[in-house]
Parts: sequence; C-alpha cells; structure tokens
Amino acid sequence: MKGWQTIGLLLLWLWVSPVAAHHVLGRPSYSLNEDSNTPPSMQVETRIGDYFVNYMVYPAFPRPGESGRINLYVNHLDGSAPYTGKVTFRVRDDSWFSRHEEIIGEQAPDDNVFRQGFVFSQRGDYIVTAAFEDQGQPYLIDFPLRIGQPSPLGPLGISVAVLIGVLITVSLVQRRRLMRGKIRAAREEQAR
Amino acid sequence: MIMTHPGLPWSWALAVWVVMLALTLRALLQPAAATPGRWRYTLTRLPALGALVRYATRHPGPLQVVKIISVALFILVILAGLTGSQIPERNIATALTWNLWWTGLIISVFFLGSAWCAVCPWDTLADWLVKRRLWRRAPAGRSLNLRVPKQLRNILPALLLFVGLTWLELGVGVTTSPYATASIALLMLVLASVSLAVFERKAFCRYFCPVGRTVGFYAQLAPLELRPVDSAVCADCTTLDCYHGSAEVEPCPTHLVMGRISQNTYCTSCGHCARSCPHENVAWRLRPPGVEASQDARPHWDEAWFMLGLLALTLFHGLTMMPFWESWMLALARRIGDSGQLLWSFSIGLGVTMALPLAGYALAVWLTRHLAGVSLPFSRLFARLAFVTLPLAFAYHLAHNLNHLVGENDGLLALFANPLGSGALPLSMAEKHARHLHLLLPQDMLFALQSGLMMLGFYLAVAVIRHRSMGLTGDQGTPARLRLLPMLTFALLVHATSLWLLMQPMIMRM
Repeated sequence: MKGWQTIGLLLLWLWVSPVAAHHVLGRPSYSLNEDSNTPPSMQVETRIGDYFVNYMVYPAFPRPGESGRINLYVNHLDGSAPYTGKVTFRVRDDSWFSRHEEIIGEQAPDDNVFRQGFVFSQRGDYIVTAAFEDQGQPYLIDFPLRIGQPSPLGPLGISVAVLIGVLITVSLVQRRRLMRGKIRAAREEQAR
Repeated sequence: MIMTHPGLPWSWALAVWVVMLALTLRALLQPAAATPGRWRYTLTRLPALGALVRYATRHPGPLQVVKIISVALFILVILAGLTGSQIPERNIATALTWNLWWTGLIISVFFLGSAWCAVCPWDTLADWLVKRRLWRRAPAGRSLNLRVPKQLRNILPALLLFVGLTWLELGVGVTTSPYATASIALLMLVLASVSLAVFERKAFCRYFCPVGRTVGFYAQLAPLELRPVDSAVCADCTTLDCYHGSAEVEPCPTHLVMGRISQNTYCTSCGHCARSCPHENVAWRLRPPGVEASQDARPHWDEAWFMLGLLALTLFHGLTMMPFWESWMLALARRIGDSGQLLWSFSIGLGVTMALPLAGYALAVWLTRHLAGVSLPFSRLFARLAFVTLPLAFAYHLAHNLNHLVGENDGLLALFANPLGSGALPLSMAEKHARHLHLLLPQDMLFALQSGLMMLGFYLAVAVIRHRSMGLTGDQGTPARLRLLPMLTFALLVHATSLWLLMQPMIMRM
C-alpha cells in the first residue's frame, strides 16, 4: 500500500510541477515608497520576453480578511513604452497538492498601471499569475503572495516531535541493552 | 532602493598591493627561517588577570553563565522568528543572527579562537536535553554511544552542510526571513541532539557542524590555544583524564588527547581537559598568529577539501553581495530558461565559484610538484599545501564581515525593546539613509582595518607557503625557491580577487 502511495505522490508531483511557463526572475523584496502616504509594499521586478514588469502588493504583509491591491507595471524594454492590452490576474495555492485556480479579474491599464484588488479569507502562500498576450505570444508571470503570518507550529512541532521520538527510542534501546546485560550476567553466574 | 557600503578606495588597495608584491619578492629572494614563532605565553602568568583566567578555566560556573545567556538568546531567536513580524530588520531573529552573530562570529575567532563552540547554544541545549545535566558528567546510558560510521568519520559531511547552509543563506534568502532563520536554528538543534543521542561523544561537533568546523579551521590562525603547560607531565601521564574525563567532568567531546594535540581544528574550547587534569597542566596560552597553519597542523586529505571549500565559499559570499551579481544571474537565467527564485542559476554560480579556486589550486600543486621534482604523491602535496587557503579566506572573510558589523548594526539595541517587531513598519528611506550614514567606526578607520587585515592575511599565506614548502625546495638556493612560484602566484591571484571584491560597493544585507 505504501508503495502505491509513494507512486501516487510522485505522479501528482510530476503532474503539478510543470505549471507556468514563466515565473518571477529574482527574489521578492519589499520597500516603503518614498511617498509616505503609500503603505509599505512587497515589490518584485522582472523581465520577461520584451517586457520589464514591476509587481507591487499593498500592503506588504496582508492579513486574512484585509483588502489589498496589486499594481502591475508592464513596459516594453525598448523605450519603456507601456503595454496597452489587458492583463488577467489568476490565483492559486502555492502548494504541490493543489491545482485549484481562480480568475480574480481582468484589468485594462489605468494611467499605465494594471490595478487588481483582492481579499483573502484564509492565510497561506498563494501564487498570483498575471497573463497577457502580445503579438500572438502568451506571457505568464507568477508572483508570490503571502497572506497572514506563517504558522509557528510547523517547525516547532516537527522539532519537538523528532526530539521526543529520538529521546524515547534511545531510552527504550538503552533499557533493552541493560536488561540484556543483566540476563547475560545472570547466565554467566549460573554457568559458574 | 538598494543601499550599498562603499568599496575600499584605490589608495588603500594600492598599499595592500605594494605589500603583497614586497612579500612575494621577499619569499623568492630570502630563505625562510627554520623554526620561527616558537614563543608561547601562558595566560595564567598574567600579573592581575592570571588568577581570573585560572578560575574561569578550572571552574564551570563562569562558562555556564555565558552558556545560559547564549541559550536564552537562541530561544529568543526561535520565538521571535516563528511568531514575530516577518519584516527582517524589525525582527530580532534575523538582525541578531545574520547581522551580529554570523558576522561577529568570524571576528571572534581572530581574538578568541574556537571560544564560540564552548558556548554554542544548540550544543548546550542538546546536552541539557539528552544528558539531562547542566554541567556535571552524565551517567552512561543517556546516549546510544554508537561509533560514527567509517564513511562519515571525516570532515566532508561538515563541508556538504556548509555548502547547503550557503545555498539556503544566499540562494533561498533565509537571511531576510525571520521564519526561515528560526527554522534553521531549530534544525541545528535537532541535528545536534539526534547526533548526541545516537553517536558517542560530540560527533556533531567533530564531523558535521559547518559552523564549528569553520571556526575550528580559522582558529588555526588565532593567537590563542588550550595546551599543556608542561609537555613532560603529559608524557608521563597514565590516566589520560583529558581524554577519558573524570568522575565529575565529561571526556573530551572530540576525542583529543592533550599530550598529542597540535592544532585547534577540533578543539571546542569547552575546557573539560583543564578541569579534569589532576596535574592542573592545561592552560590557555598566547602564541604567534598563524603558526599552527604554517607549521604545527598535520595535513589531511579531507581537511584540505574543507579548507578549499572555505576559501571558495568565502569568495562566493562576497561575490553575491556585489550589485552586478543579480544581473549576472538574470542573464544566466534567461540563457538557461530558469524561473522562480533562480535557484538553478544560483546553484550553477555557486558550483562555478567553488570550482575555480579548486582548479587553480590543483594546477598550482601540480606545477609545484613538477618544478620541485618531488616524489611526494599529488594527494599528499595537495593536503600539505592547502593550509595556504586559510589565511587568504580568513583575511577576506574578516574584512568583508567588518563592513556588515560596522555598517548594519545601528538600531540593534532598539530591537531588544521590541524583539518581535510587533506593529513595526519596514525601514523608511530616511531610516535607511540614517543607518547607512551611522557607522560604529569612522569610515577611514574601517578602510585601514580592512587593508591591515588583507596585508596580514597575505603575510600569513606567504609564511605558510614558505614553511610548508621547505622540505620540498631542499636547499636554500634561489633557483630552488623559484619553485614556490606556482603557490605564490595562486595566493596572489586569490588575494587580488578578494581585494577587487572589497573595492566594489557591497549591498547592505538589510
């Protein structure tokens, strides 16, 4: 049964791993905008094909139930001409085991910015995909989005479980060793 | 907006270059002294501090106090990282771990050798959890006491873990994630505890801990050592309490015998030997820096690999903090079609950066062997000369870390008032600029220190080359000494690269 489970998990992984064609280039960073009226944002800059893309999330660390906004700037690499078509925003769980994806909106540029609002009810790691087309070529860019604080129980729970497991195992093995030693000593005593 | 530390000015770099060239010429033209640097000074002989040093060495109390503080800070890092704000510069987990500890640790080796290992929090916590004793010797049976499998009884597991830690630190970016920082702290605790529960003595410290081994190797250059006061006493000793321990004191955690110890590499400065020796024959001593790397330490194949890895990873750390690194990674990513966090591109960059110094060193060893015409096998010469990488790596590591330590720790004290960063906003531009301008040392003094360290590093590297090559070059004639040229060229190239990296503006960590 375990073998089938392993094969199943492996197949699932193979099935879910080749998702989007293009992802974010570079590690996300957040910044406080020079304009003090703007809340801190999470910001990712990337280049894809002929475009330079700037993705900003307000606030930088959105909580469940809190409304947030994505601002996407898409400019052509030559001369910084902005992209004028529409961008579709989709979202899915950032998980190996989930393929569920939702379209959260399709936006036309507003003053050269594609603005997309969102509210997430559950905390977790999500992937926002911005999709657009240019000269018949599809562009798909994945961005990370974290809602709420990560749970502290994961690493702490695993560590405590491993430590307790090891300490109990060692204790049991040592007890067996001790018993074996006593039995051996008793046998040797008898043999004498 | 990216903030950068200014690079070392040309004038300072030129001074370092002149010293490097002068030292190289001196090595080629003047014979090496046969046994320089033999002096030692036992610290217990110090006029006023001697008694204090003796007390701190012989009694566990002072060390326990520091250990408790260290463990308290470690627990704070874990709690703050897991439950606090995820803004790295507002959470004490990231600021304390990466800005203060990780940078200060290497600087501490310069003064105190492997003292960090004596107060290491994950080892202390593992000890308390597994042995269930604060300091006295635990009864036998708290650990399975298995021998480490023969395949793992070398330093290569520590090297692999060090590469892994670098990958996580710089590739995945755990330095900017309090949560990941706390998770790594927990991982170290689990690894140390499991190893202590399963294997005999402190196998984790001896074979696996990348931090401990880095500290241990750099400690070969430190001016401090824990050694026998009188080697004749050790020669006549029949009980070997330093190795076996006593009724109250644990044995040496890394299987060292005081009478035969010749290098700091595996000494954890725990002081068990000093406390268990019935003759009170173990003490802290001062010595010439670098004397161990150039003369005393014995060459080993696995250790040579670790030292080379240390050099490569140190250079790699510097390289990834250069503003041009990101554009290199982007260019590579576009070429190979990499995506996401560019981990493939990063891994390739890491691999290439590790391979280059290794290939350069192997070539220098090969040339030395052929020019000197020695019958020593390549592997033994490879191990013997690898000590040259230690001062080269250490000098750059120190100079690089000084930038972090001096330029990125402003506001650390304020973090203790709100270690979890509750309700804090990210640094504003004004705060970033203020932090950038407020250095713990004047900028010129920082440049002077960095230049001095680079000069000292090269001086020690040349000393290592001269002494480790003495048997190879035979007599003291000039043509024979020209056979030092490959290793001297290697040292010059590596140090010139380090100097060039220091001259570049360096991205601030946070």
